[in-house]
Amino acid sequence: MSVTNSGDVSPIRAVLEVVVRALVDRPESVRVTETERRGMSVLELRTSPEDMGKIIGRQGRTAAALRTLVAVTAEKHGKRAQLDIKD
Amino acid sequence: MSVTTEITEFLQDVVQAMGLDLTPSIEETDDATRINLVGEDGGVLVRRGGEGLQALQHLAATAFRRQLGDDNRIVIDCNGFRKDKDAELKQMALHLVSKARSSGMPREMGPLNPYERRIVHLAIAEDPGATSESIGDAFMKTVIISTRK
Repeated sequence: MSVTNSGDVSPIRAVLEVVVRALVDRPESVRVTETERRGMSVLELRTSPEDMGKIIGRQGRTAAALRTLVAVTAEKHGKRAQLDIKD
Repeated sequence: MSVTTEITEFLQDVVQAMGLDLTPSIEETDDATRINLVGEDGGVLVRRGGEGLQALQHLAATAFRRQLGDDNRIVIDCNGFRKDKDAELKQMALHLVSKARSSGMPREMGPLNPYERRIVHLAIAEDPGATSESIGDAFMKTVIISTRK
């Protein structure tokens, strides 16, 4: 199995996009940007406003799970990452 | 396409995006469909008490909630990590039953998450002389294990 990603999409961003698109009703509205800030990847996630509740989840559990997955993926690639959910 | 196939494909996409070499293996039990991710890269999901696995479980269950309905349970595992933990949990529950029985005092277990509590309640239910009850109103609850006189 190939573990490289096509183009210049980082694994962290790729994971976030795959998972978030599966969670929402409007996958075409999902936007993820990734910037480097002091050696840390900062990911900004935007979805359609109607899908925000699905991303956050009851008591913020889905958002917490997304942050964990982002952190685990970053760790695997020797990086640190932060997820900003933009509403 | 069955929901199991859809979830399996989703998991394949996720682990590939993460850059992990893991292969799903599907097992149907009386209780649930288990998708076990097998491979040398499993450590990433299993470390720190399996927090990555736990997150993946929640995200898959949430994404496929509608297709899964109320009757289908899906359990995502990695190199049998969860299966081993489930067995330990069951053993601990049965151990506390015998302690409750010999002392006549209820025993506490936890705090446990809903998945863990379900395993404990099912284990206790096999013993007609024992009962279990969850206490609390948060996500994590303590289970009280008692025996009948």
